[in-house]
Amino acid sequence: MKINGVHIDDTFAEAFPMKATRIIITAMTLKWAYRAANAIRGFASSVIACGIEADIESELKPSETPDGRPGISVMIFAMTKKDLDKHVSTRVGQSVMTTATTACYSGLDSDQKISMGKNLRFFGDGFQISKVINNKRFWRIPVMHGEFICEETTGVTKAIGGGNFLVLAKTARLGLAACEKAVEEIQKLPGVITAFPGGVVGSGSKVGSKYKFLTASTNEAYCPTLKGQVKSELGPEVGSVLEIVIDGLNEESINEAMRLGIKAACSFGPSKGICRISAGNYGGNLGPHLFYLRKLLE
Amino acid sequence: MSALTLKLKNNLLFTLDASLLSPEYLEGKTLAEIKELKISYGNKNIKLQKLFTIRGTDTNNICIEKSTNKLINVGKKLSKGSINIKGDVGDFLGKDMRNGILTVEGNAGSWVGNAMRGGRIDITGNALDYVGGGLPGDAFGMTNGLINIKGNAGSRVGDRMRRGLIIIQGKAGDYCGSRIHAGTIVILGKVGRLPGEGMRRGSIILAKKPTHLSATFKSCGNLKMQFLRLFFTQLHNIDSSLSFFNKYGPEAHRFSGDLARNGKGEILILQHYN
Repeated sequence: MKINGVHIDDTFAEAFPMKATRIIITAMTLKWAYRAANAIRGFASSVIACGIEADIESELKPSETPDGRPGISVMIFAMTKKDLDKHVSTRVGQSVMTTATTACYSGLDSDQKISMGKNLRFFGDGFQISKVINNKRFWRIPVMHGEFICEETTGVTKAIGGGNFLVLAKTARLGLAACEKAVEEIQKLPGVITAFPGGVVGSGSKVGSKYKFLTASTNEAYCPTLKGQVKSELGPEVGSVLEIVIDGLNEESINEAMRLGIKAACSFGPSKGICRISAGNYGGNLGPHLFYLRKLLE
Repeated sequence: MSALTLKLKNNLLFTLDASLLSPEYLEGKTLAEIKELKISYGNKNIKLQKLFTIRGTDTNNICIEKSTNKLINVGKKLSKGSINIKGDVGDFLGKDMRNGILTVEGNAGSWVGNAMRGGRIDITGNALDYVGGGLPGDAFGMTNGLINIKGNAGSRVGDRMRRGLIIIQGKAGDYCGSRIHAGTIVILGKVGRLPGEGMRRGSIILAKKPTHLSATFKSCGNLKMQFLRLFFTQLHNIDSSLSFFNKYGPEAHRFSGDLARNGKGEILILQHYN
């Protein structure tokens, strides 16, 4: 199969179950909402070492936020609900509450919930005020900029992490241009995020390592510098491989994100250095969700 | 299915305990069975059809027409469905109510929403004293739910309320929000003397300056309250009929108290509307 002259490998991306939540950060201006959102998604590229994967999902108009101010929707993924509970509380506390004029609300309705303001309220040192509005509990925490308002809990849902595709290009510069376009298209979709910096992974990994203490290590089969040294998956024309990893709320949203992303990357074509599209899989050992590239592009 | 409609035939001489006229009690009963139901009136038990003309079959939506203030306990322990009252209604409207909607197209007596635990009460006219308040001896008044009164309310609105929201779009009498434990009271008209007397927590939001505020409330100054922004936006989300709250801004003069009770409550007097 080829799209715009770019070969699509007959392979699949392998993804695994995760837990996800969505939070809404508002602030006096969009600029300050972005500052909080960027802080919370910092060091949240992969669960391998960060505990969570997080990214901005979309900008929200004042009419779309609980308090009528401009806002940002952030999606956060973790392997377990317990992990999510731990990291959301600490990150909202350290990244959102500390950002001037912000407030933080749940963006996901679900029967399963994790704490948010429930833990942060103690920062109020006894001066915090609880308010139940429309059957939702909010905590008003007096802070030096005024009041930090945080919803008590946020919903948790089943999700999928690790949807991916690889862009095999002649050079890193050419590959990155195609990946940027692909990420731009993916970011237009609701319910999906690309948590790595800029949405692009420069150092895709395989499961395990020769070192027992390491759970993930470099994917040598896709490292251009090791082409002559290991059993490589790369042809002579490939000089750089970049990966786009997608986390989403369900299979449909990841399917759509991969389809749009691959098409956007392929639109650059071989003339702009895009050689092949492949995907990361581990023979079905990693997770139950398999996304076959050719099937989703049909 | 049309709403089960009960139209009062004549003016009542005595109070009539209307607590039986609720979806829970009438569910599964045929129209004939409902007509034969006996209800306590004066010192007698008389059939419902002697007092009311009854039509309709939907017991989940009840309409009481030509109602008067002799009807008490309307919507008592209501937990589902709706009751629409055309005319006035007596004391204890929505007492112990847990869910559902009570609508009064007229005035209501005292103790509206006494011990209310959930649901919503809308009154187009006025209400007398102790809206959402507790009876003497009760630990708390209402513990959840929404009471929305378009007209005026008497004294001691929300007395000892524990949670929930009371909106009075007109005036309120003295001691509004007295001894409240928590919850929110909004008064858009003038309010009488000593609002928030003895309050421990909770918020009283006033659109007009009170005539007299207790010395046990301390000014925190004029502030932009982020909570108000959230609160007014959420009211619009609860019901579009409350969307007029969007015109109120977050600027308010905050008083904390009642310090005589080591209170951590607040009175927020909205700016620009005084």
